Amino acid sequence: MADSWQECMELGISIARNAGKVICKALQNEQSVMLKTSPADLVTETDQKVEKMIISAIKEKFPTHSFIGEESVAAGAQCVLTDNPTWIIDPVDGTTNFVHRFPFVAVSIAFAVNKVTEFGIVYSCKEDKMYTARKGKGAFLNGVKLNVSGQTDITKSLVITEVGPERDPKILKTFFTNLEKLLNIPIHGFRAVGTAATDVCFVAAGEADAYYHIGLHCWDIAAAGIIVTEAGGVLMDTDGGPFDMMCRRIIAASSRAVGEAVAKHIRAFPCARDDEQIGVHANGN
Amino acid sequence: MASSEENEMYSKQWEGCMEIAVQTARTAGQVIREAFKHEKEVSTKSSPVDLVTETDRLVEDLIISSLREKYPSHRFIGEESSAAGEKCLLTDNPTWIIDPIDGTCNFIHSFPMVAVSIGFAVNKELEFGVIYHCLDENLYTARKGHGAFCNGIQLQVSKETDMSKALILTEIGAKRDPATLKIFSGNMERLLKAQVHGIRVIGSATLALCQVASGAADAYYQFGLHCWDIAAAAVIIREAGGNVIDTSGGPLDLMSRRIVAAGTVEMAHYIAREIQTITYERDDHNAN
Repeated sequence: MADSWQECMELGISIARNAGKVICKALQNEQSVMLKTSPADLVTETDQKVEKMIISAIKEKFPTHSFIGEESVAAGAQCVLTDNPTWIIDPVDGTTNFVHRFPFVAVSIAFAVNKVTEFGIVYSCKEDKMYTARKGKGAFLNGVKLNVSGQTDITKSLVITEVGPERDPKILKTFFTNLEKLLNIPIHGFRAVGTAATDVCFVAAGEADAYYHIGLHCWDIAAAGIIVTEAGGVLMDTDGGPFDMMCRRIIAASSRAVGEAVAKHIRAFPCARDDEQIGVHANGN
Repeated sequence: MASSEENEMYSKQWEGCMEIAVQTARTAGQVIREAFKHEKEVSTKSSPVDLVTETDRLVEDLIISSLREKYPSHRFIGEESSAAGEKCLLTDNPTWIIDPIDGTCNFIHSFPMVAVSIGFAVNKELEFGVIYHCLDENLYTARKGHGAFCNGIQLQVSKETDMSKALILTEIGAKRDPATLKIFSGNMERLLKAQVHGIRVIGSATLALCQVASGAADAYYQFGLHCWDIAAAAVIIREAGGNVIDTSGGPLDLMSRRIVAAGTVEMAHYIAREIQTITYERDDHNAN
């Protein structure tokens, strides 16, 4: 069994690299931008093209596998994680960055079996940084082993977060209340780079001590989540409870102590679960 | 009135200085790259989040001593010299304005956005700027009247005038009292409500300003940065076709501790109108 997931992982890495090449090439051109859920929730043809490319390359080798992809879900596919081997894909994490040519854009590919993540791949293509992790085998950046910072003191922590595409005034108020509470502790500082997958990889690499976000999706953190845990970090819900990939909330931290300190100071706003959309696009099923 | 020949000779002098600045920035960058991998000894300056390391001081000494050797009559304004009590006074004399490590907090955490910034002014006019991203090894340069470049490729700012299509960068500054944080958040919130595409915070003012110069971001605004953060980047942005102004909407004031930079004048003024001031003591407060 383990051997066949290794083969999947190697395929995933090669596909991520190819997808990265397509994205980097497209970065040189003007983008035609469409909107999804809000004027700040952007999508381009590249997002759609790259997702199709990834899924068809995998389907060719593994026709029985399942897929959860950002653009497929946006087009009406279900977002349900079954026991079946499932690829969870964000073809372009950081689409807003991509549109502006701001150099943080990643391909994110995760693979789960029996609802357990077996491996994760995040390729930050402009930086040519390939982050990978295989369950039980550690996390790596371009072949070099990754370790979280191990920081346990929140007052010496660098924390990353994102605003995301939400522009509802009540949600923004919650976002800024959370941010001010953390800065008041104090923490060393906060960063917002524009891609959840890369943000979590910064924590995995020991370059930041915690990431928190409310409102992101399973495809944003499925891969980076295993990368950070294989680097020695922890994942939890924003209330400090166990992490749930579909619940739209995450804290990824260098230690339980830092994660819990973040959880203590933030409140989540309500988000529909990723797997709660089942009824929305139903064809009578 | 100087003839165009005299202007050209005058300007060529500074070309030599800029070449030295580039070499010095690369050497300093290498020292920082080496130190990046190791444990850092951290102290604080004006507040528990205003951090400094031995490497900041070492690199500034290295830069100033190698420049002083070549240009003994020039003057120097450096972040760490200033912290040690030197006056931040800009005279007509050729003056180097240096941030040895822009992004010290990033450096301490090994967060990979750290730069050396070397600006140069004569008769209080900024003549050239060099910013070196120590980890990516990207070299941003600009000399007044001669364009702006990253690794030799010409830079061009974004031409975006519509706030609702803007990607904006900012930084928080060293003040973290609740009243300041309220204004800081309020500014971000107001811009987000104007439907900007997004706001980014990368931890290095000079590198953020370079993103504006390269067109990858449409604007940058900040309260609390210093003249050594602004000096080089202002030339780079102007030479890439962009605008740098005071947060009040007036002309840039190098010592004022604040800036709005944008690809277009419309974007710059829109932001200046939206943001509320956070007051910091001027860099030249003790320079009478």
